[in-house]
Amino acid sequence: MDPDNSILDDSKRKFISTCLGGLAILAVTGGAVVTSSIFRYYLIPRPTTDNKGKITIPVKDLAAGAAKFFEYNGYAAVLVKKMDGRLAVLSAVCTHLGCIVQWDAKRQEFICPCHAGYFTPDGEVISGPPPSPLDRLPFNVANGIVTIG
Amino acid sequence: MIYLLKHIYEWIDVRLGVHEIINKKRTSYLMPRNINAWYSLGSVLLVSFVLQITSGLLLMLYYVPDVDKAFASVSFIMNEIPLGRLVRLLHAVGSSMMILVLLMHMLSVLFMGSYKSPREFHWLTGFTLLLLAMGISLTGYLLPWNQLSFWATTVATDTGNAIPLVGEYLVELLRGGHQVGHHTLGRFYTLHVGIIPATMAVLIIIHILLVQRTGISTPPFGLEDTTNKWKDDKFVYEEHPDGIPFFPNFLLQDLISISLYLAFFMTFVFFFPNLFIPAAAYMPANPLVTPSHIKPEWYFLANYQTLKLFPSEIIGITIQLAGIFFLAMLPFFDQGAEKHPLKRPVFTCTAISVILIWVGFTIWGLYS
Amino acid sequence: MRCLGVILLALGILITSQADAAVKPVIVCIQCHIAQPTKFSQPVKLWETSIHAEHGVGCNACHGGDPMDSAQAMSPARGFRGVPIPTAIPALCGGCHVGVTKHYTDSAHGRTLGKGGPTCVTCHGSHDIQKASLDLISKKKCSTCHTPEKAWLIRSTMLKRDTMLNAIEKKIKTLRSQGVETDQLEKRLFSLRNRFHAMFHSLDIKLILQESEHIQAALEKTSGAGGVGTGPLTGVVAVGWALIAALLFYLIKKNLD
Repeated sequence: MDPDNSILDDSKRKFISTCLGGLAILAVTGGAVVTSSIFRYYLIPRPTTDNKGKITIPVKDLAAGAAKFFEYNGYAAVLVKKMDGRLAVLSAVCTHLGCIVQWDAKRQEFICPCHAGYFTPDGEVISGPPPSPLDRLPFNVANGIVTIG
Repeated sequence: MIYLLKHIYEWIDVRLGVHEIINKKRTSYLMPRNINAWYSLGSVLLVSFVLQITSGLLLMLYYVPDVDKAFASVSFIMNEIPLGRLVRLLHAVGSSMMILVLLMHMLSVLFMGSYKSPREFHWLTGFTLLLLAMGISLTGYLLPWNQLSFWATTVATDTGNAIPLVGEYLVELLRGGHQVGHHTLGRFYTLHVGIIPATMAVLIIIHILLVQRTGISTPPFGLEDTTNKWKDDKFVYEEHPDGIPFFPNFLLQDLISISLYLAFFMTFVFFFPNLFIPAAAYMPANPLVTPSHIKPEWYFLANYQTLKLFPSEIIGITIQLAGIFFLAMLPFFDQGAEKHPLKRPVFTCTAISVILIWVGFTIWGLYS
Repeated sequence: MRCLGVILLALGILITSQADAAVKPVIVCIQCHIAQPTKFSQPVKLWETSIHAEHGVGCNACHGGDPMDSAQAMSPARGFRGVPIPTAIPALCGGCHVGVTKHYTDSAHGRTLGKGGPTCVTCHGSHDIQKASLDLISKKKCSTCHTPEKAWLIRSTMLKRDTMLNAIEKKIKTLRSQGVETDQLEKRLFSLRNRFHAMFHSLDIKLILQESEHIQAALEKTSGAGGVGTGPLTGVVAVGWALIAALLFYLIKKNLD
C-alpha cells in the first residue's frame, strides 16, 4: 500500500519496522503511565488525615435518644444514643439511592427524605424501598469517649 | 472486531470522504525540496499550546480564584495532591518554553523572509499570537496570589497610568478598582482561562488555514534565485512540484523536533524548575509590603529595563509601542523581493542589532 | 520591544525593619530620668539598646508604677517597686520568662540564690539586656565564681546544637523557597529553639538532642504527596523517553530520505 515501499530495499524496510515498533512501545508505555497516573493519583487524591481515619466523640455530648452526624472516611455517618443508653454507629448513607438519612427523635427512627425509607436506630429497615440495613461502623467506648474506626 | 471497525470507517467515509482527504494529503501535499528543521517549530508550538491547555485544565480542578484562598489552593496542589507539583511545574515552566519557541519561530520567519507578500496575514496573526501568549503569561502570573505575582501585576498595570487622558481609566478597568485586589483576580482569571486561550485557539486555526491556503513558503537557502516570486496581480498557490511529501518525510521532522522540545522542556521541569520560580513566588501576597528586587519574567526584562532607563514613563512606553507597531507592520514596510539574509545586509544587520540590544537589555535588566 | 504588558521599577521601597515600625509607648519615666545625673539617666540609655526596648517592654514592666501619669509614676499605690532586692530578681524576670526561671531554679545556679549564686542579671545584665546568645558564656565571667571548665564544656555542646538548629533552619528556608509547605516544621523549630535556650539553664542537653533529631527526621520526609513524580529518577526517565523517541524518529527519517 505504501508507495515508499517500492523504493526501499528489504533491510531498510526491516530497520524502519524495528524503529516503528520501538516508537509504538514508547508511545504505549509513555501514554499509559502518564494517563493512568494522572487518573489514579492526580484526579482522585486520597485524603491525608492525621488521625488515620479515626474519629472520637465524647459520650456526654449526646443525650439519650439523640443522634450526632459526622463525616467518616469521606462519608456521612451517625452516632445514636438509644433511649436505653446503648450506642450505635451507622453509615448515614441510605442503601437505596445514597441520600443521607435524617434522625427523627420523636419516633426514634431514621427516615430517608428521598423516598421515605424508615430504619430502626440499629439501622434495620422498617419500611420503604431500601434493600438492606444501614452499614454498621466499628467503634469502641473507653473513658467516656467513643472512637469510631 | 476488525470487521466492525472497517464497517464504521466505511460508514463515515461514504458520508465525509475521509479516504479521499487522507490520500490527497498523503501524496499531493508536498513541501519545498530545501525545507529545513526551522519549519517544524509551528508543530512544536501546537504541541506546547495543547500541553498548556491540558495542564491548565488539570490545575483548574483544584485552583480557587479567591484572594483568601488562591495561594493556599496552589500550595495545596503542590504539596498535597499527588503529582500536583509536577502538573503545576509543567504549566509554569511550559509558559516560558512556549514563549521561547514562539520567539524562535518568529526569528526563523524573519531571517528567511517568509513574512513577505502574500503572507502579511500569516505574520499579523502570528504576531498577535505572540502578544496574546505574553498576555496569557502576564494574567496567569497573578493567579497564585503570591508576593511576586501581586507586585509584578501592580507594577505592570500601573504603567498604564502614564498614558495621557485614558490611562487612569484603563488602569481602573484592568484592576477593577484603584488597587490590585479581589476584582483584579477575577478579571485576570477570566482573561487567563477564557478569553485569551479561546482567542488564541481561533487565531491558531486561522494561522494554519492561511498556511494551507497559500502553500508553504520556499526557504531562501541552497537556491540560485532567492527572490520572492509572487506578483501582485492574482492569487497563486505556491506549489512545490518536485518537493518532498509531508507524509511521512516532513511529519518525521516535526516529530523529531517535538521529541527534542519535550526532552529540553522536561530537563527544566525536573532539574531546574526554580530557574523560573523565585522564592518570592512562595510567599503569600501582602499588599502592605513590597519585596525588594522583584523582577518580571525573562521575556519582559528588556521592557522593564527600557522603562527604568527613561526618566519619563510616557517616553518609555511610546518607544515600546512604536517598536511593537513597527514589528507588526514589518511586511508592509519591507517590500523588497530578496529573501536570503546575506543578500539583504541592511535588514539582517538591523535585525541582529535589535536582537543584540534586546538580549543586552534582558541581561542588564536581570542584573540591575 | 515586542511586548504587551510593561514592567516598571518597583514603586515602594522595601520595608525591611519591622522593629522600627513597632509603636513605642509614651513613657513619662524617660522624660524625667533622661535629664538627671548619670546614676539616674544611665539606665535609660542602656535600656534603649536592649531587646526589651526593641519589643516595647518599658520601665514599668520590671519596676512597676504608672508610666502614663507623671505625678503618680513612682507611687507605690500604682505598683511602683523601685530597685528589686537581688534574691527577688529571678521571680521578677520569671513573671514573663516562665520556662527559663523553672530551669534556673532547679539548677546549681538557682539553688545557690542568696548564697553568692548568680541571678539573671549577673549574666544577662540589668538594663542593656541583649538577645540570649552563646557569647554570654565567657571564661572571664564564669571564672568570677568557679573554674570555667564545666561552663566551657556546656558552651561547646550548645554550640554544636546551635549549629545544628541553624542548619535545620536553613534547610527549611530552602524547602520553603521551593514551594514546600513548611509551616508545621517552622513551628516545631521555633518551639525547639525556645526550649533549647530555656533548658540551657538546667544544664541538660540530652532532651534537646532527641527533639532536634526528630525534626531532622521529619525534614527528610518533607516532600509531601505533591512531590510525587518530581524526583530526579522520574526526570531521567522522562527526558530519556523523549530523547529515545527523537532518535528513533531520526533513524526512520534518515532511512526514508
